[in-house]
Amino acid sequence: MKTDYKKLAEQIVEKSIKKGATEAQCSIYDGVRFSVDVREGEVEQLISAGSTSLSLKIIVDNKVSTASTSDLSSKTIDELIENSIKKAKFLSKDEFSALPELEKIDFNIDSLKLYNDSAEKVSPNEKTKLAIELEKICVANKKITRSTGAGFSNSYGTTYLANSKGFSNSYKSSSCYIGVGLQAGEGDNLYEDGYYDSARSFKGLLSIDVIAKKAVDRTTRMIGARKIHTQNVPVVLEPEMSAQMLLGFLVECLSGSNIYMKRSFLAGKIGETVSSDIITLVDDPLIPGGRASVPFDRDGVPARKKTIIEKGVLKSYFLDNYSAKKLGMKPNGPGPTNLMLLPGNKSQQEIIHSVNKGLLLCSTIGQGTVPTSGDLSKGAYGIWIENGQLTYPVNEVTISGNLGTILKNIAMVGNDPDPRSSFSAPTLLISEMTISGK
Amino acid sequence: MQDYPRRDFLKHCGIGLGVVMTSNLWLNELLANPTKAVGDTLLANYFGFTKEQLKKLLEIGLSKGGEFAEMYFEYRISNNITYEEDIVKSASENIMLGVGTRVIKGSKFGYGYTSDLSFDKIKEAFIAAAAIADAPNSNKVANLNEKKIPNQFYSMQQPVSLASLEPKIDLIRRSYHSAKAYDSKIARVTSSIADEMQYILIVNSEGLIVSDVRPQVRLVVSATAEDGNTRNTGRGNAGGRVGLDFYEKIITPEQIGYQAAEEAVILLKAKDAPPGEMQVVLSKDESGVMIHEAVGHPLEADGAWKKTSIMWDKLGQLVANPIVTIYDDATIRDLRGTLNIDDEGVECNNVMLIEKGKLVGFLNDKLSAKILKHKENGHGRRQSYMHPPIPRMNNTVLAKGDSSPEEIIQSVKKGFYAVTYQGGMVSGTGKFTFSVNLGYMIENGRLTYPVKNATLIGTNIDILREIDMVGNDMGFFLGTCGKDGQSVPVTCGTPTLRINRMTVGGVA
Repeated sequence: MKTDYKKLAEQIVEKSIKKGATEAQCSIYDGVRFSVDVREGEVEQLISAGSTSLSLKIIVDNKVSTASTSDLSSKTIDELIENSIKKAKFLSKDEFSALPELEKIDFNIDSLKLYNDSAEKVSPNEKTKLAIELEKICVANKKITRSTGAGFSNSYGTTYLANSKGFSNSYKSSSCYIGVGLQAGEGDNLYEDGYYDSARSFKGLLSIDVIAKKAVDRTTRMIGARKIHTQNVPVVLEPEMSAQMLLGFLVECLSGSNIYMKRSFLAGKIGETVSSDIITLVDDPLIPGGRASVPFDRDGVPARKKTIIEKGVLKSYFLDNYSAKKLGMKPNGPGPTNLMLLPGNKSQQEIIHSVNKGLLLCSTIGQGTVPTSGDLSKGAYGIWIENGQLTYPVNEVTISGNLGTILKNIAMVGNDPDPRSSFSAPTLLISEMTISGK
Repeated sequence: MQDYPRRDFLKHCGIGLGVVMTSNLWLNELLANPTKAVGDTLLANYFGFTKEQLKKLLEIGLSKGGEFAEMYFEYRISNNITYEEDIVKSASENIMLGVGTRVIKGSKFGYGYTSDLSFDKIKEAFIAAAAIADAPNSNKVANLNEKKIPNQFYSMQQPVSLASLEPKIDLIRRSYHSAKAYDSKIARVTSSIADEMQYILIVNSEGLIVSDVRPQVRLVVSATAEDGNTRNTGRGNAGGRVGLDFYEKIITPEQIGYQAAEEAVILLKAKDAPPGEMQVVLSKDESGVMIHEAVGHPLEADGAWKKTSIMWDKLGQLVANPIVTIYDDATIRDLRGTLNIDDEGVECNNVMLIEKGKLVGFLNDKLSAKILKHKENGHGRRQSYMHPPIPRMNNTVLAKGDSSPEEIIQSVKKGFYAVTYQGGMVSGTGKFTFSVNLGYMIENGRLTYPVKNATLIGTNIDILREIDMVGNDMGFFLGTCGKDGQSVPVTCGTPTLRINRMTVGGVA
């Protein structure tokens, strides 16, 4: 018989209160995953499994202790509750440690279309064939040295959340992925890249022909890359880079915990101009079928659309219940979710044409981001721009700057956001960054 | 989500680590006497199954024509406590219990797992894994024989996971206040301790039954210094497969807090690095990350048989300056990456990788050893029962040389001295970066001013030839290594090194 996890979560909350917790919260995830990796036309690994996990938050007089387990036996759960209550008593009182007041979810969770069963209806065999076919199309290109593997995966499951403020809700969600990695080049001078897509539904994935073409183009365009001299030049970020590098770093600097801990250069900057006025950044967890759409956060705070930067002015941070209370602000629900830097009206070509000498940034490697100062420094791969035209590929250089300055130096915004990931942004022109090379 | 096969090394990726739970009978006994557990207790219990049941399950694994079947049972308790803003802010506990089933056929494998340790659920997981093969069953399960661990390389004295809360809170409180007291410019400090105890049992169709009990602890301090509008964060950390006494005998929590605060305050005065190619000296403290990225990953045997590593065809060739010798030794006592047996039950030892510049070995798991026809060398590791084993590093070390560190710095007319790192990353093609948190400029053989946030970039084939001075000192760096979506604890060691030419990414 299938366990009623909604009921179980509620019972655990109840039990925790009975045993001495002032407040309690329980979440359970019950899901299934499938993945197949293929290489050189053969299956390499096949993973298929179901798993369940439970996490618990216990608050005793504003002292918080958390626990999680993959063992859902009632004995383990009981012991976890008791341990957590015992442990909480050792901790320090923190007036901000409390569950949020119950807020009504004023939208229909089903309208978010988080779950689609189309991938479950496709047999493991077909999924495998699809990955093999994707790889085959790619390696048919003579410029491709080899594939590092293609894969298909999908998962689905249900998240349950209940707490002692009376919250109890759940949502079912699904996701699918298909992608391929490739190497191209001569001898020891190889380049690695690839392409992928992900979606809530099988039907939502890009066709393998489109993925293969992108993967081959992205990998082969780096063949013959050279190192260039150290210089300060304008840099054009491809949509993938605008999303991964720029937004990826920016969200770290906007996280509530980094703000109250002063580990972000954006701490205390609400209402100030933080970027050029052509930038507007919006986070919307309520997009139907959106890759990161979600109805409520870990504490049951309902999702809402929020403007983060409006025409260059910083409007809000990502605030969970705790960091919001610390900062004397209101929690604003789950975030970052579907984060969008709103597109402008320039095509990528127009943007490249506007650059006399500069770099089209295609991918980066390495960490090199410091939220406290905003400093950014990464290994870079790109294509050199000369007189508004793309010329030769560039590698073994680094790109550096400070995020505060980079945001203010965004001179053009493209009309081509990359829809594949939950962070979406178009091509951007940064008027100056340092390239270190020879 | 899957990603392209880039490997990375993160200095402070906190793995949620464990309080003592006693949910099973055999565990009660185990926890009461962890030292004994290494010997017989766990073996006598087989995670609640009899030898006959285990054998039956393995037979189900082979029923579709698989050549090798295996079960990896895991029970792990982890704890994390954080001290911040003058209070113990949070405490967490994580329990992981489950079994992973694997069936190999040729060079492919199927994998299943479950957190429900009932015979039927494991059978289901095995049926999922067995689907990799599609032939009549022709292979037999050997008689199961218990194997004792030959050597014990980690300390089972005072395991941190079995300690009560007070001494742990005391450690983080002391490190926190040490960082705070360092300088009035220290604005914020976070100090946390993460510990775990992992109990594993490996049973396979070759007849092996073996178990291991692995402690792990790490204390991490992060300090932010503030001066006007300038803010910087420094970090300190120490730990390993050690007990509580480590923080008295080897390094005190005060020293860890001091390290973090000192780095943060120095960074306030640090300038941007001048960009371009120059001589680079890597300090002993954390530069092992270079060896890990530039040499370790390309020498994992999966990249060799798949030919995706730039080193796959270079066995026996001179790939580095002959002053360079590199090995991976999982048996160095008490280190973060140390293991008695790997996650396939193969005994760990010291594996020579590059000897006097010549490539002599790869780190393998059972599958890659079989395909390459190499001897198994005990480097199959996995993040948890939910992950299949793959070739990984443990403690990767560049052997000591002859030069004193002073002599190396004095030899540089104009160059860059790298001290602490955020981490490193490498692609299969051998291109790597290291993100330097704190460094110094060297002018006329002397350190001049501090430099922040520079990226070093290169290709492993080039850098191994450019190492032209090797120090007679040695430092170890604790990290968490990510590969194919799996994180495992590792250590890497290096003496002070001079690299003749390398690109330093800075700001002009």
